[in-house]
Amino acid sequence: MLSLLIGIPLLGSIWIGLIPERAGKSIHRRLALGFGWVLFGLSAGLLLAFDPHLGSLQLAETMAWIPQLGLVYELGVDGISLPLVVMTGLLVLMAIWASGQVERPRLYYSLVLMLAAAVAGAFLAQNLLLFFLFYEVELIPLYLLIAIWGGPQRTYAATKFLIYTALSGILLLIGFFGLSWLSDAHSFTYTVLQAHPLPLVQQTLLLVPILLGLAIKIPLVPFHTWLPDAHVEASTPISVLLAGLLLKLGTYGLLRFGLQLLPDAWEQAGPWLAGWAVVNVLYGSLDALVQQDMKKLVAYSSIAHMGYILLATAAATPLSLVGSVFQMVSHGLISALLFLLVGAVYTNTGTRDLRLLQGLLNPERGLPLIGSLMVLGVMASGGTPGMVGFIAEFTIFRGSFPVFPLQTLLCMMGTGLTAAYFLLMVNRVFFGRLSEVATAMSRQQVRERLPAVVLATLVVVLGLQPAWATHWIEPTTADLAKSVALSAAATEGVVGKLTCFMACDSS
Amino acid sequence: MSNLLGLESSWWIPCYGWAGTALAIPWATGWVKRSGPRPAAYLNILLTLAAFAHGLWLLRQVWGRDPQILNYPWFRVADLDLTLSLEISPLTIGAVVWISGLSLLAQIYALGYLDKDWGLGRFAALMGFFEGGMTGIALSDSLFFSYALLEMLTLSTYLLVGFWYAQPLVVTAARDAFLTKRVGDLLLLMGVVAVSNFSGALTFSDLRDWAATASLDPTWAAWMGLALMAGPLGKCAQFPLHLWLDEAMEGPTPASILRNSAVVACGAFVLIKLQPLLALSPITDGVLVAIGTITALGGSLVALAQIDIKRTFSYSTSAYLGLVFVAVGMQQPELALELLLMHGLAKALLFMGAGSLIYTTATQNLTELGGLRSRMPATVAAFAVGSLGMVALLPLGCFWTLTRLALVYGVLQPALVGVLLWVNGLTALNLARVFGLVFQGSPQPKTRRAPEVGWLMALPMGILTVQTLLMPWLFGRWGLYPDWSPELRWIAALLTASGLVGAAIGGWLYWGSQRRVHLPWPELQDLLAHDFYTGHLYQALVVQPVGALSRGLEWLDRNGVDGLVNGVSLAFFFSGEALKYTLSGRMQLYVLVIVMGVVLVTAWLLHSLHLGLAY
Repeated sequence: MLSLLIGIPLLGSIWIGLIPERAGKSIHRRLALGFGWVLFGLSAGLLLAFDPHLGSLQLAETMAWIPQLGLVYELGVDGISLPLVVMTGLLVLMAIWASGQVERPRLYYSLVLMLAAAVAGAFLAQNLLLFFLFYEVELIPLYLLIAIWGGPQRTYAATKFLIYTALSGILLLIGFFGLSWLSDAHSFTYTVLQAHPLPLVQQTLLLVPILLGLAIKIPLVPFHTWLPDAHVEASTPISVLLAGLLLKLGTYGLLRFGLQLLPDAWEQAGPWLAGWAVVNVLYGSLDALVQQDMKKLVAYSSIAHMGYILLATAAATPLSLVGSVFQMVSHGLISALLFLLVGAVYTNTGTRDLRLLQGLLNPERGLPLIGSLMVLGVMASGGTPGMVGFIAEFTIFRGSFPVFPLQTLLCMMGTGLTAAYFLLMVNRVFFGRLSEVATAMSRQQVRERLPAVVLATLVVVLGLQPAWATHWIEPTTADLAKSVALSAAATEGVVGKLTCFMACDSS
Repeated sequence: MSNLLGLESSWWIPCYGWAGTALAIPWATGWVKRSGPRPAAYLNILLTLAAFAHGLWLLRQVWGRDPQILNYPWFRVADLDLTLSLEISPLTIGAVVWISGLSLLAQIYALGYLDKDWGLGRFAALMGFFEGGMTGIALSDSLFFSYALLEMLTLSTYLLVGFWYAQPLVVTAARDAFLTKRVGDLLLLMGVVAVSNFSGALTFSDLRDWAATASLDPTWAAWMGLALMAGPLGKCAQFPLHLWLDEAMEGPTPASILRNSAVVACGAFVLIKLQPLLALSPITDGVLVAIGTITALGGSLVALAQIDIKRTFSYSTSAYLGLVFVAVGMQQPELALELLLMHGLAKALLFMGAGSLIYTTATQNLTELGGLRSRMPATVAAFAVGSLGMVALLPLGCFWTLTRLALVYGVLQPALVGVLLWVNGLTALNLARVFGLVFQGSPQPKTRRAPEVGWLMALPMGILTVQTLLMPWLFGRWGLYPDWSPELRWIAALLTASGLVGAAIGGWLYWGSQRRVHLPWPELQDLLAHDFYTGHLYQALVVQPVGALSRGLEWLDRNGVDGLVNGVSLAFFFSGEALKYTLSGRMQLYVLVIVMGVVLVTAWLLHSLHLGLAY
């Protein structure tokens, strides 16, 4: 079952790659859409196969690959990876749908599906080396997708992305090797490593490279500058995948490697991480406030939103951990929606410059539907109740407050700033009199609107019924919080810690 | 059993409004153009009528009973339990009836007011959203849901103020309304997060019990109280978060009717529910009284200098809500509620009158109005009754409320009686001024051929006029009036006198034949017309520092953080460029370098045998 999630897109990638360009104009797109639907169907089917009451690893598959190296093909899914895998299926489909008539469709769709396979594989992998493999494989298609179909500065942006992420991969690999070699288990399997925790000093030493590697990927300030460039140059569907899925690889790593495999060091580093989260949130938000390019603005907003996840994982209470995974889903949906809409504005008007755009809400000659969805999207991102962003962030803040009250309050200021910069953007672009650029606009087809409508609907539905998302997540994060608290108590010999208290209380 | 079923259905009431929003979407988005936007408005009016009727029916059921709490589990995760809990009591259902009634009148009024506006469908959808949020706040017994609904009101205020989004003033007004309220909401959210952590509860009833026994660190209690207060503060347009209400008057009038009566009341309603928590710290109550006093004194002064008819009323709204804040700070929640009710009715009526003036004359500038006395009978009646209902005049509207407040303050804090007198007097003066400028004097170019408005606008105005007149009688029937004691007579005389003096000054200044639009001193006029220059204060204290910080950080980001990265890459690039000139292509040189390298490495390895590498 799980292998299909990787195999189907990989098969699609190869199949599309084999059909020559001259075979037909839209055959590649239709095939890619078909594979996208199958992938989405499979990932949604995962929800049926998964038992939400269990917090343990499910549907595991194991096959020795190169056992001498410790590389075992191990897949599995739990409450942390399940929502992300489902979101992968959804967003890949949306990205293919929103791609429309691209140049060189054979290569394009083949790369997109390869990317999908790699991301799904990284979320499903239960072996450090396997994760690393998928993590690196994902680099190649994304580099090409930015470098070939990007904007004017695409080579610069794509190379920057490549170098940054490759560096992050190397740092992760150092950490992974350390994890395996220093432990007496000599294995790369998550569960085995979790059962054999290292002493605190070694954990701390290993946390440094792993954290740095993840910080580049997430990205956290000051390792973030590749992201705005990559977003600005990437085409719309690639931005959707980048913001919706690839950043989540980093935050997923925080939970998996940081919290789960290095719990003691993680707990020690908690206050520092929470402080880093505050810096991230405020720095990203304040930077977004003065951006003139809509895409750059959304990119900085993504950076700021990643800070909330860091805060939640640092606090590591049962509630904040649910919140962190929920926020990954929420940010994935909302940022994908925002990038789709910004892309729609760009294709219609030919610019994303806030100084040039005005009055696009005009019902006759503007983009009223895009504008309305944009209002919805930015409100969701700014944390207006009734949409998924609010409840995810509330869960995080409420969960993190008992551990880091001051840091939580400071992060909450970020939501105020989010509302401010997004509102200023909407106000400038959609309100007012229709500007010059927009009056010359030609009527475009609605192809980019349907994915946006689907995402907007999900944003609202999950905002009204958050339990539909969290009940998949909660058992796993509850177990995780409990095991972390127990291990912390065991190493320190102190049982009365607040985290433990909370964990025991909730169970 | 049927009785129980009846109460169970109370959660439908907010849903009527939201259903209206959903149903109006085809017209609001312009998918359906052939029928024009009116069907959307009809649908919403029908649903509001249903909400009103349902509310009335429920009111009959719960009249005279104890409050009941209904719980609906919504979201449970880890130790967080967000239960949708509703309080069903005569008070909350009464508030629902009041809100949906006002909303119904405002929507019928909007049919006339926005007659030729293509956006009527969108307006109807937004009004449904607005109404749903407000009735939800009235019913909600959960701090979390009240917060969420307040935030939804912020969003719908933004959209309603920004209704005519192509106008430049509207653009800034909508932006400022959202951002100002958002500041308040954000602080409220911080308070909610903190209080739910301290108490573990999120319903008002649990919080009340907790507050009765809690022993919280006084500093935290004060901060928490201040944070919780900030939400209502922004919503009720109190100093220093008051400027948005003035700007929001750029929006369509039917929405202003609700905003100045019901929406501000919702903010105050939440404040009243939070009162037990605020009472945990003496500082909070003091701040409430101080803010209320400042706003009441300042707002009623500033109103005098406004030449926009809607803005002058909006400042008076702030001033009256200031009185409500003072009342809450002085632990008088019942009187605060009564004041909200009375003020809301009268203010809604005044705004309807103002709207019908704007509709007929196409101006809201007081200097361009005049001499409308005989042309618009319904509007004159609405204005007169609304004005009388605002001030303390026996037996109408606010008289009993203000008198009883003064009676309480006379014992606790006599200075506050002065505040009441001041607000009452200045409000009377201002209303006399507006009435004089609009209806007295000679007709102006824009008012010469002004007819009375059509029945769609006149009917709601008439109904509300009658209702305002009936309110004292209703209160008498419910036995809410105190007995005449000597102190009461004194206070009543003082209040009436202050009102009469104000009205007399206003009449003397503005009812004459010569038109005096501005205040006598230009400096004073400017100071008040610009609201004591609060806008500049915002600029200097908030907007500019945040802007400067952002620009500084952005510069740092571009040149510092990214510059470093680019610098590293450039260093590699240039060192590569420089090194490439060492490649001459001559074999001998390469071999020499390799041999030297091998020799060096071997020598080093031999030298450091103890490393154990050279075996």
